[in-house]
Amino acid sequence: MSGRLHALGLPAVALALVSGVLAVQLANGGGTFEPLRTADPCTTRAVTSRSDGIEGLTERLVLRGIDEAACRLHVSREALILELGQSDTRTDAEVEALHRGLSSAVRELEADGSLPPASALVDEALDSADLNGFLKAAIRALPDSVVDAALKTDDVLIRTIDDLDLRAVLADLDSPQDLNAQVEEAVTQAVKDSLSDRVRNLL
Amino acid sequence: MRRAVAPLLAVTVALVLADSAVVTLALPDILAELDATVGQVAWVLISFNLVLGLCAVPTAIWFDRAQPRIFTAVGIAVFAGASAWCAVAGSIDVLVVARCVQALGGALALVGCLELMVAEWGERRGVAAWVTAGVVGTAVGPVAGGLLTQAISWEAIFVVQVPFAALAVPAALAVRAVPVLPPDRHRPAVRPNLTLALLSAALTAALFLLVLLLVEGWGRSPATAALTVSVVPVAALAARPLARLLRPSPEVEVAVGCFLIAGGLVGLAIPPSAELFWTVAPQALVGLGLGLTIDRLTAQAMELRLPRARHAGWTIGARHVGVVVGLAILTPVFTADLQDAQEPAQEAIASLVLDAPLRAEDKISIARALGDELTQQRGQIPDLHRAFAAANLDPAERPAAAELERDLDAQLEGAATRAFRDSFLIGAGLALVALLTVIAPRRRRAS
Repeated sequence: MSGRLHALGLPAVALALVSGVLAVQLANGGGTFEPLRTADPCTTRAVTSRSDGIEGLTERLVLRGIDEAACRLHVSREALILELGQSDTRTDAEVEALHRGLSSAVRELEADGSLPPASALVDEALDSADLNGFLKAAIRALPDSVVDAALKTDDVLIRTIDDLDLRAVLADLDSPQDLNAQVEEAVTQAVKDSLSDRVRNLL
Repeated sequence: MRRAVAPLLAVTVALVLADSAVVTLALPDILAELDATVGQVAWVLISFNLVLGLCAVPTAIWFDRAQPRIFTAVGIAVFAGASAWCAVAGSIDVLVVARCVQALGGALALVGCLELMVAEWGERRGVAAWVTAGVVGTAVGPVAGGLLTQAISWEAIFVVQVPFAALAVPAALAVRAVPVLPPDRHRPAVRPNLTLALLSAALTAALFLLVLLLVEGWGRSPATAALTVSVVPVAALAARPLARLLRPSPEVEVAVGCFLIAGGLVGLAIPPSAELFWTVAPQALVGLGLGLTIDRLTAQAMELRLPRARHAGWTIGARHVGVVVGLAILTPVFTADLQDAQEPAQEAIASLVLDAPLRAEDKISIARALGDELTQQRGQIPDLHRAFAAANLDPAERPAAAELERDLDAQLEGAATRAFRDSFLIGAGLALVALLTVIAPRRRRAS
């Protein structure tokens, strides 16, 4: 009996120690401690923003648009972001997917009622617009209902996306001034086009 | 002076075997200071083990024809001189050459010290002290190297060896009578030496990879890493009392030791987080396994085999060739895994930044600073704190940014841990193969 105890004692202690240590490691998440796995971009995810107004809207649009574009390209949104951010050249497929993604993000936000009316963005847009002071004051004096009747947010955004040279925008990611100038120009053009279309339809 | 002779020789044995892994924690400093590549700096470790492993047996054969005291004193002197040379090496190439010379002197010193210690303390005590000094040196090497690097500099690792070794030179010459060596009567013990080689390869994973994970992957200081890996030698000391309590046979003791090392390495492969606490219990398993195996296997390989020095040469060769084989197997695996870990880590970082509860302009500012940091530190794990400090953030957003920084650090730690997992598991596999060499049935001798 004593001989058997001596033969089995140390192996039994070792087995208990190894099993105990591994069980505790596994029970506390051992083996799953690794980087976050990226989510499927084709599955709709809630997008939120800490920013208000145009910046917040742009952020939500970009986040949804990137998801849509990544889904079309069959990559994760993170892989697409890193590719766009790190690569010097963007492929036609990437630019096309981004364009379509942003357009469909506008339609989705419009469909779920989260696009603000144009009147909610006018003041902020005028602050940064390069317009005559009298003209700005005149536009600000317009009642919200008139602004909302004249301009539809989704229409302006879709036109802005169509007007933007996305390849140039991506090339200017490191230069906020150039980026803002491009976006401002595209938005101004989109507002003009939207208004002239509306007037043309009225006539 | 007479009383100090054998202890000084034992310290020399511990120093030589500590040198096998003493630079592990100093490698990042050496890499930076000597402007070396990762591949070059690995040779500071590989060269010593390779030369020691390959020279041990020829040295032992040469020892048969030499004056033992002179032979040993020359070996220790060469080791001491080369240690000083390592400390003043101005380039990585010079350091690698100095390490080769140091290993050559170390091989002479190890073989010679065994015979001189037997002459001073007698067969049983002399061999036991030589084996124990080797185990202590092996286990304490990375800890001592880490603490010295953090407290002083990597050069200090080599400087502190010089006075000990210099004192051991007259000690070797002072040994009075060295018995005449017996003729070659026994073949090398294949099985214990093979097990030793496999276990040494596995232990490379424990000692070398763990400190790399702690310093490079989890961003801990060399001193913290050194204190953390001190669990291994402390647990190794606890192995002997445990074995005395349960009194297993030597084969069972070695088999259990292999199993404990394998279990500890699996535990190191699956920590639940980057908290140092999670490495303690797996390291304790490795330390217990180390304490149960190395001295027992060394004793088995040398027991009643003559000439003693030659069989000591075989065990030294087996251990250090094992270390080199371990490095050769594990280095390409973990460097490739670290390379592969970059993409998921970058994607995880991008994901957290995109969804962070921060204003859009702050996200862009952080993303830009992170991008610069990643570009500058290509090939190494980036320092995210620098990126956050460089980002132009709104003060009100600082708490959320600090939380994001913590989350991003956790992603990098997770990526590094994942990258080391395969290597730890390969180390565990090597320990299990060592276990097989112990429990495999022996060939019956024809009666």
